[in-house]
Amino acid sequence: MKLFKSKSDCETEISTSALPDIVFLLLFFFMVSSTIREDNQDLVTQIPKANFSTKASEKSLVKELIVGFPISNDRSEPQISTGSRIINSENLVQWVEEERNTLPESQKNKMIVLIKADENIEMGLIGDIQEQLRKANARKVIYRALDKL
Amino acid sequence: MRNKVRSKVTINTSSTADIAFLLLVFFLVATTIVQYKGLSLQLPPEKKEDLRVKIKDRNLFKVLINSQDEFLIQNEVRTDLVGLRSEVKAFVLNESNSPFLAESSEKAIISLKTNRGTHYGKFIEVLDELKGAYYEVYAERADLSVTEFLSLDLTDEIESGIYRDSKNGLPMNISIAEPN
Repeated sequence: MKLFKSKSDCETEISTSALPDIVFLLLFFFMVSSTIREDNQDLVTQIPKANFSTKASEKSLVKELIVGFPISNDRSEPQISTGSRIINSENLVQWVEEERNTLPESQKNKMIVLIKADENIEMGLIGDIQEQLRKANARKVIYRALDKL
Repeated sequence: MRNKVRSKVTINTSSTADIAFLLLVFFLVATTIVQYKGLSLQLPPEKKEDLRVKIKDRNLFKVLINSQDEFLIQNEVRTDLVGLRSEVKAFVLNESNSPFLAESSEKAIISLKTNRGTHYGKFIEVLDELKGAYYEVYAERADLSVTEFLSLDLTDEIESGIYRDSKNGLPMNISIAEPN
């Protein structure tokens, strides 16, 4: 005598029709919350560490400057990069103007410049950058620092 | 006119998930969630003419870093930064009303000067200590821990109120002199 037998012989299948919806949801989250990496990786930076770093109040106001050593050259002259191109410190005023124009009218004077510099850079170059930023009246700066453990 | 055949036609959608996954993986790899964390500072306006303001010597806390990354703090040569934070706190608050420390915390100015040859890492190290001293005072006033104070959400009305109250009358006067 057969004690156990399947009670019903209908085919059971987990419906996967909602799977694409879930994946699309994730996809849209990542599309909205992230920016496509556009910095050219020509400069290496070893970012200094700090205990008391604070976050920028509004992300859309932050414009990044990278100061580091070129990879190709064996650690010779440090260079400044805006993420997409290498510029001289003399052209910084123009760069600030360009970046400022991407902001809405009401926030033009609130621009924040994030300086992401290598810890072995000499202060002379940083001083030059600061002088140019003062000239361009972009006086709010953040020195990028990693959290100390 | 009407359709002659009324058979049920369905498009097979099982591959949409695969396509969406492919896109998802692309975005996961190609993007970075950017973090804008660091030490913020307000630079002085561009100097047009020689504007000199007399500041009493006792209100000025001088930190100098030379090109050999050595420190000169209040005319005293140092090789490390041990105790700097508490010294700055004592200087700014001047609870003992000492004639050698700042007249009032509003008038106190911390001056940080570097040489052109100083390394940026050292500059950040000192700036971190100086800012840390102020943040510790603020946190104490607000009855929070320093990490709690630093993570206050300034877009929130109550939290930004706490932030402003604890900073009231105690501005963070850190002056970065041009490197020479």
